[in-house]
Amino acid sequence: MHVIVATDGSRQSLAAAKHLKSFADPAKITEVSIVAVIRPLASVAFADDLSEDGFEGSFRDAAQSAVDRIAAVFDGWGPKVNKRIRSGSAANEIIKAARQYEAGLVVVASGGRGLSDAVLVGSTAQRVQHYAPCPVLVVRPAPRKPRKR
Amino acid sequence: MADSATMPRPDEDDSELKRSITGAQLFFYTLGDVLGSGIYVLIGLVAAAVGGAFWIAFAAGVTVAAITGAAYAELVTKYPRAAGSSLYVQKAFGNKALTFLVTVSFLSASFAATGSLATGFASYFTELWSAPPALLVSLVFVALLVVVNYIGITESVVMNMVMTFVEVSGLLIIMLIGIWHVAEGGADFGTLTDISVSGNPALAVLAGVALSFFAMTGFENTANVAEETIDPHKAFPRSLVGGMVVAGLVYVLVSMAAALSVPTDQLADEGNGPALLQVVESGILPISTDFMTKLFTIIALIAITNTTLVTLVTQPRILYGMAREDVVPGVFAKVHTTRRSPWVGLLFSGLVVGGLLVTGYAVSAAGGGLDLVNRLATVTVVFLLAIYALVIVTCLKLRGHDEDERAFRANTPLLLLGLVGNLAILYYAVYDDPSSLIWCAGLVAVGVVLYLVEQLFGGGSKPRPGTVSRTPKGDL
Repeated sequence: MHVIVATDGSRQSLAAAKHLKSFADPAKITEVSIVAVIRPLASVAFADDLSEDGFEGSFRDAAQSAVDRIAAVFDGWGPKVNKRIRSGSAANEIIKAARQYEAGLVVVASGGRGLSDAVLVGSTAQRVQHYAPCPVLVVRPAPRKPRKR
Repeated sequence: MADSATMPRPDEDDSELKRSITGAQLFFYTLGDVLGSGIYVLIGLVAAAVGGAFWIAFAAGVTVAAITGAAYAELVTKYPRAAGSSLYVQKAFGNKALTFLVTVSFLSASFAATGSLATGFASYFTELWSAPPALLVSLVFVALLVVVNYIGITESVVMNMVMTFVEVSGLLIIMLIGIWHVAEGGADFGTLTDISVSGNPALAVLAGVALSFFAMTGFENTANVAEETIDPHKAFPRSLVGGMVVAGLVYVLVSMAAALSVPTDQLADEGNGPALLQVVESGILPISTDFMTKLFTIIALIAITNTTLVTLVTQPRILYGMAREDVVPGVFAKVHTTRRSPWVGLLFSGLVVGGLLVTGYAVSAAGGGLDLVNRLATVTVVFLLAIYALVIVTCLKLRGHDEDERAFRANTPLLLLGLVGNLAILYYAVYDDPSSLIWCAGLVAVGVVLYLVEQLFGGGSKPRPGTVSRTPKGDL
């Protein structure tokens, strides 16, 4: 099975990757593709909260370092790890990637536990859940736990 | 994998370089960004400064801007990154203070542009609904755009294209009116060579260029999408310079159409409302004037909105970059957990623009005799002209560094001409309206305050690698 692990550079997406590793059987997974999507017309096209590096004006570098950080989670786990950086609308690109790689599972993080998720339609995790061609694992933050680093 | 049998291929080929902005999209992004910024708002002022021949001012202005665009295209193809002018200046001079000044100036230009556009928006809005006061309309407009930006609607490439088409359609209406008027035989072509200002005609044109230059700005924001453009070495020069040349052509034709259809003094009289509306209201086309006025007003509102959105996308981005470099407080690097938008930066940008609008209102209420659109446009232009001139110098200075045979190379004599042009317009803009420098200083002060706050209170939690490592680098 080919598993897609999406990252938006958030800490929650790192938690999602770790969560997958905590229960999945590496023998049943052939490949893991880490997918980051750059949103060219957004104010911040890609925000990497995972590394402390300075930002030198390249969102591609930011996406690359986030993808590297997530890929490191799967070091020595077994399945082949691919790093993919795409460009466009986050949900669309994750869904397209799922089709293209014939993925058996998509792992996404959902950052929100506040009002914003309920009030504003169309968060990336919601759209992926609705339209992905395969099962989707949405990893939510633990309720009311102090933020861990 | 399904297609692994057909051809052995490098593992990353479909993804590593996957970019999403096509040359055509970049062209429309440039066109939309440039067209919305001034012609809908400033054309009357330019007509007043020059006379019937004010199309010459637009032609001259857009030529200087397009040359500057060529310098940007060269730098973007060498350094395809989102940081734009700040990055180029850092690469060329390696001077932290200068880079900071350029970044803050760029940010300030963007704030002032947003303020000017919001005021222009309000002046068109009264045509639809005149009850609410202009200040309130412009403040609500900015607040709404901040929310729209936060949600992320601005990220739609399709919406960007649609808005650009609407923008162009408004200007096509003006051209059609001009052509119709000529066909009817009502036009006096003598108007097009009339420089009705006493004194040196060249100076009158220069004054017009300084005023109209706001209409040429916006193209520098295309560096935003430099990294995500497909085949940037080819697409960027074509789409950026191409977009500006088309915008320039549209400007010249629109100015000619306006000058031919409506007497210049009527265009120039601001008491009559936006100048392009005068053209629509002239009743030349055999369509209900009332309908055309409403339609054109809505088109103008959309055009202004499109350009304002791009400026509001750029501001939090600049603040984000500076915060990541520990130049301004770290809160500006915060992005919302779900939305991934830099909400602190957005909110701050909205507040600064709101502050500009309220200040402008207060000054004119106190009898300052202030035309806020004009003042903020001048402030934008002063900042941008200085940056443009510096970018051209940077472009020349970086010749021989990081050369790449695929990179676009702008024509050197043209660049020198552009440099002289930018400086001449800058000189005239400041000479004509020296008090705009006070506003410039105020905006730069906002940046300096943020810097001081970061230096005094920031960085307590972690060491600041940026301040050490980002001193001039030897490898540049």
